Amino acid sequence: MLKELNPLLHSELRLALMSILIGLEEADFSYLKEQTQATSGNLSVQIEKLSAAGYIAVNKSFRGKMPRTVCKITEEGKEAFAEYVETLKSYIKL
Amino acid sequence: MEEKQLNEKESLEVISNMIKATQNRFTQNAGAPFLVWGYTTVLSSIAVWFAMVRTGNYWWNMLWFLIPIISFPVMMIYNRKQESGAKTYVDSVINKIWIVFGSVGFLVSLVAMFGGYINMQLPILFIVILLMGMGTTLTGMVMKFLPCTIGGALAILLSFLCLIVHNWNVCLIFAAVFVVMMVIPGHILNCKGKCDAKRA
Repeated sequence: MLKELNPLLHSELRLALMSILIGLEEADFSYLKEQTQATSGNLSVQIEKLSAAGYIAVNKSFRGKMPRTVCKITEEGKEAFAEYVETLKSYIKL
Repeated sequence: MEEKQLNEKESLEVISNMIKATQNRFTQNAGAPFLVWGYTTVLSSIAVWFAMVRTGNYWWNMLWFLIPIISFPVMMIYNRKQESGAKTYVDSVINKIWIVFGSVGFLVSLVAMFGGYINMQLPILFIVILLMGMGTTLTGMVMKFLPCTIGGALAILLSFLCLIVHNWNVCLIFAAVFVVMMVIPGHILNCKGKCDAKRA
């Protein structure tokens, strides 16, 4: 019996966000938007979901007068991502 | 990209594409910090050498302060313009390397400049090259950029020349070492950044 893939990560945009953040120390909203080509609204919703699950830490600040949202993967997020990849391997029998 | 459910193959594709997109590439003008510090140091060293040989007045040593006076503001403007919105682990390690080596270099320079009042003599040019050479070598190793590693290592070896030469020509050695350690690797890094940008 194959283990179920983590439903929170098994969505295109959330998986893309986690894949970006796993390789970086941190990234801001504009960078994530550029890399994923997602709309601002959708991106905000997905960031919120990952943050609520404790997979990413979100820090909101200002640079000059412009608001800036910076995201960083947490230890819990790294573990969930590693587990997701392991489960994925069992599905495609790597 | 949307909130779409994926099959296993699509999941793998998303992971691989996103990891590829964030892979460490050399950005355009990545060599700018080396060029700013390198050229300012070379020009200041030549200015000190010229003034000291011509006049013999020790106050011309104040020209060394041109290095931080010019380089710090230029680097602050550069950093503000260059921010990409993402910080890699490599960026973070390189920043920390230069905070440590830069601070120690600056502190030692101040002690050397004013240490004469408490009878303390330091071979400052030797120490500065050694510190900056170590910083450059480590930066090259972290970035996996050979010209930087070689430039830094050569600077460490050449630093000992500053202990052998006991006249103002030591400033010219100092300038030449900075050309090898920062100016040449900086230009190569910029060329590589341009090539990577064209390929992307």
